[in-house]
Amino acid sequence: MEAKSPGVSASGRKPVVSGSARKLKDNAADWHNLIMKWNRLNDDGSTIANQIVNLKLSKESVKEAVVAGEDDQTPITRHTASASAIGSELEDRCFALTAILEKMAHLVSKMEKLASSTKGVCELQEFQLEHTGVCTPLFHTWAASHFEDVSSLLLRAYREELALKEVIVGELAHTSSADLALVYLSCWLYQPYLQPSTALQLESLLLETGHRVL
Amino acid sequence: MSKPALLSLHQALKRSFHSLEQNQEVWNSVLEECRPLMGSLCNLAEQLLALNNVQISSTPLARFPNLQDRLRFKLLVAVDTVLEKMAEKMCSLQMVRDAVGNKVTAAFQVYEQHADTLDLSACLQRSAAAPSVADMLEWLQDADRYYRQQYLKRKALLQALKSNDHSDLQSAPKRWEALAMPEEEDRVSDALASVSFFMDSP
Repeated sequence: MEAKSPGVSASGRKPVVSGSARKLKDNAADWHNLIMKWNRLNDDGSTIANQIVNLKLSKESVKEAVVAGEDDQTPITRHTASASAIGSELEDRCFALTAILEKMAHLVSKMEKLASSTKGVCELQEFQLEHTGVCTPLFHTWAASHFEDVSSLLLRAYREELALKEVIVGELAHTSSADLALVYLSCWLYQPYLQPSTALQLESLLLETGHRVL
Repeated sequence: MSKPALLSLHQALKRSFHSLEQNQEVWNSVLEECRPLMGSLCNLAEQLLALNNVQISSTPLARFPNLQDRLRFKLLVAVDTVLEKMAEKMCSLQMVRDAVGNKVTAAFQVYEQHADTLDLSACLQRSAAAPSVADMLEWLQDADRYYRQQYLKRKALLQALKSNDHSDLQSAPKRWEALAMPEEEDRVSDALASVSFFMDSP
């Protein structure tokens, strides 16, 4: 059904596109939406990760207080009570962060599908090119293969981010080094594998497919 | 004593104090907006310091390529963003400084125009509703000087910041807060309080 020639889909000045172009345009919109969702989850996750680190710090300070106040009998029970309250709160927050991570993993699996569908469309275009010899851009300037390049670049970046976040979720509540905990937090928030070029590629994808107006 | 001269000087002083009142509000609200920005600067500096202290290769993050450099880059970009926002705030502060300066100069110009016709006793005379001309001119000059000094000090602090010197960045918010001169600020408020009847008089 997507086998209409690019000449048809790009013909005239109709705003409606069809065939491969339609598919690529929808994919571009999906990329945008998935990344928006990712960003929201990242912000929520960052808040939770901060809470985890703070709870962990206060738990440790309570422990120290227990050690310091061992001569006195009464405060110990109070301290252990508050320590266990912090412990259950910490557990609750860790679950929340795991839930966020699962949602992010789900988004990345959708990204995988998007990338493979883009790849399919590009292969189809190449196949048609071999047969017809016609090579017109689907939208403005990009060759079909460029869509594949961009989507695989985006996919790689988000895959790497997901892998990084998996490690962070696993280690955050177990690290005893304050510096390392802070590095985990900044890794989560600032997403080192999403470079400015990643955002730029997404924007140019949206621009090329007409979702963004020049 | 020349009544028209005194009247026009009073009008100029009123305009200056009205402007001072508005600009004081702007100044304080801009400074208030700077506080969270300076706070995030300190926060970013702490993250950069922590990143320097951690040997990534001996942590669970070891398998991620170039992580340290990539994260440092991201953090430095964030520092730049904050500094850009601070630069915008400095522009707003500069506008306050210039607005106050211009109005104060205007009041002094009116005074100098009529200096020959205004004798000393007229300048020193005060009433229940209006402070003396001499006092008011002095207060305006004090306010003008206060904003000039404050602006320069704050500007100098930001210009001297080095984003690769993390402990310098980290201490910046404290140094920024230490620049506040509450006594001088109170003097501006006191002056405005002293002229409140005068400003409202026709």
